[in-house]
Parts: sequence; C-alpha cells; structure tokens
Amino acid sequence: MTCEEFATAGLDLASSGIDAQLEMAAREHLRQCPHCAALQENWLSLREDLRELGAEAARAEASPRVEMRLRQEFRTRHKTVRTQRTAFILGWSLAAAAALVLAAGWADWYIHKGPDVGTEAHTSSSPNPAAIHNANPGPHSDAPVQTESNDVIVASNGYGDFTPLPDSILASPEDATVVRVQMQRGALSALGLTVNEEHAGDLIQVDLLVGDDGVPQAIRLPQTSTGVSN
Amino acid sequence: MQLDSQERDDVLLKRSANGDERAFTDLYRRHQAAIYRFALRMTGNSWAAEEIVQDVFMMLVREPKKYDPSRGTLGAFLYGVARNRIMKHLERTPRDFSLDENSELGRETYPQLCEQMTPGHWAELRERRDQVRSAVLALPPEFREAVVLCELEEMSYEEAARTLECPVGTIRSRLHRGRALLLAKLEMLREVPKRANAGRG
Repeated sequence: MTCEEFATAGLDLASSGIDAQLEMAAREHLRQCPHCAALQENWLSLREDLRELGAEAARAEASPRVEMRLRQEFRTRHKTVRTQRTAFILGWSLAAAAALVLAAGWADWYIHKGPDVGTEAHTSSSPNPAAIHNANPGPHSDAPVQTESNDVIVASNGYGDFTPLPDSILASPEDATVVRVQMQRGALSALGLTVNEEHAGDLIQVDLLVGDDGVPQAIRLPQTSTGVSN
Repeated sequence: MQLDSQERDDVLLKRSANGDERAFTDLYRRHQAAIYRFALRMTGNSWAAEEIVQDVFMMLVREPKKYDPSRGTLGAFLYGVARNRIMKHLERTPRDFSLDENSELGRETYPQLCEQMTPGHWAELRERRDQVRSAVLALPPEFREAVVLCELEEMSYEEAARTLECPVGTIRSRLHRGRALLLAKLEMLREVPKRANAGRG
C-alpha cells in the first residue's frame, strides 16, 4: 500500500466496515511509514474530537416556539381551507336550491298554465268534450265544483245561465256535467251557433253542459268571451 | 423497522394533509431534532437552524404533495429540503458562522467535564473543541455536510448517500477531502500558538 492509498482508505481502519485484506495492508503500511502513522494518530485524535463535538449537540432540538409557530400556521391554513371549502359548498348549494325553486316554479306554471295554450289550440278546433281540462269556475258559474281528478266540473242543480244549443233537448240537471273547454271561436259554428267571422280564430273558453250521452246540450260563455251570437 | 417507520411517516403525512394537527405534530417531533442538528452543524448558528427547521416544516404544511414516497423516505426528503435552505443561507452569509458560546453546541457536556478535570485541562479541551468546531464550519459546504453526517451524526456511508441523494463513492470522496482539510486546518490552528510562543521565547 502506498501513502496515497493509505490516506484514501487507511484512515477508516477504526471503522468496522473495512475489508479485512485492506486492513492488513494498511496496518503493514503503518508499521513501515512513520509519516502515515503520524497521520493516523492525528486522525484518530481528530475523530475523537469530532465524536465529542457530535455528542455535545446530540440532544439539541428546535425550541418549542418553532413548534408553536408551525402549529399556528397549520391551524390557520387548514381553517382557511375549510372555510373556503365550506363557502364553496354553501355557494353551490344555494345556487342549486335556487335553480330547483325556479325549476319547480316553472314546472308548476307550465302544468297549470302553459299546456292550456298549446294543447287546447289543437283540441279546440272541434267541440269534442275530450278537450276537457281543469279550470276554475267562471264568474257566472254559481255552483260547479272542482274535482280532484281535474277533468270534470259537476253541474249544479239547475241550468243557471246556460244557453241551450240549437236542436238539443235538455236533460235533467242531475244527468248533466259542466265541462270547460278552450276552443277557437269558429268551432262554435259546429254547435249551431253563429260566429263573427272576423274573430273566428280567437281562442275562447266556454262551459258546456254535456248530457250523459256525451252530447253538448247547452253553452255558457264567460263574460270575457265576446263576439258570439246565436 | 425502517419500513414501519416509513409507513408511519406516510400515514402521518396523509392525515396531516387532511388537516389532522396531531398527526402533523407527531411528524414534526419525529424529524425536527435531526433536521435541527444538521442545520445547526452546517450553519453554526442556532437562530438560523431554527429558521431552517421552520421553513422545512412550513413547506410540509403548505405543499405536502411535494413529497413523493416512491423517491425515498420522508426523512431523506426533509434533509434534502433542509440542505437547499442551508445552501441558500450559506450563500447569503458565506463567512457568517458563529462561535457564540450561547449557541446550543457545547451546552450539554461542559458541566460534566468541569467535575472531572482541572480548570486547566477543561480550558484546553474547550479551546480544542472550539478549534474543531470552527474548522468544521470553515469546510466547503459539500465536504462539511459529509463530515457532519458521517462523523458528527455517525451515519453510515450508505445512509449519508441516501440523505444527500448521491452515490456512496461521492460520500467517500467528499469525506476523504473533508478529513484532509480538517487535519490541515487544525494543524495550522495549533501551529500558530506554538510559533507565537516560540517567538516570545
């Protein structure tokens, strides 16, 4: 072993991980070279000093204030994140709730109002009572009762302000049903009524008194429906 | 044992990232002392070492996802972060190492030494230790960290290599150069008083 090799590997003589063959060569060199022996001695002394220096601070640790600051930062950060997350969820929940309310409102409006126009426009071209739908009793209807089925209005006892249709025989009031339909004004001509041609395309609501055979027998025009004469 | 420790670190870190303060505190207490000692020995300044420890764990609070378990242990990761901070600190204050007696280095064993030795021996030992400390702090950072980890922290070459993320051969080489520089530096420091005394004589 040369002095250079000893300086590189031989200083580790004291450590347990050194190769046995290398250790033998290093010890042999130490016996022959006083310079390297002095180097080894210096190194062992320095190593001892380093160990002692290491032992001095072996139990050193950061002061508790560092831990305190870090925990404070941790709390602040996670509180902020939680707040942001809560605000985000709350915001979206409110938006969703608002959208739901709007959708429900629209659906309610559509069911009760919207389809009247669309569907009745088609069905009103004929006086077929299939176009019956739920409606509030008109101002002249003194006794019709709205049923839960939304389809028929039961007639009261008596004909009230209904006008009998031409060529119809009035049945007894107990056998008749009042139905409210929306139709084009021109369709009234099919019931034998005279219609002002200028307003034939208007949509109107009328109450029909329908007998148990399904044939309309009398008609009542709400006050808003004008322009019809019989 | 190592695997258990690593698994425990991973679990604690995951819980900490989910806002579990106790998990974070456990994690901090498991690693802070080693990081602090490393920083203290590299900078020689307890205030700077505390700042570095705080920076390292602050990063863990703010960006826990920066740690990738597939790349190594959490301990090695924290050492790596600490090392970067230390290097930045040393770049800013390259020659600002403290020999302050109030530093935490040296507090532990002096009282014990006082009881066992005469004041003369104690003063000599203290001077010698100060010389060693200043010699270590005067080493270039890459050699210093090898000396700190292998000689002061008594890590094996393999552990030091994992911590510094470099080959074992590099650690050996740096340690060899570091030792040589230390011996030369101490030789020089001890020669100066001898020459001064000889001059007086």
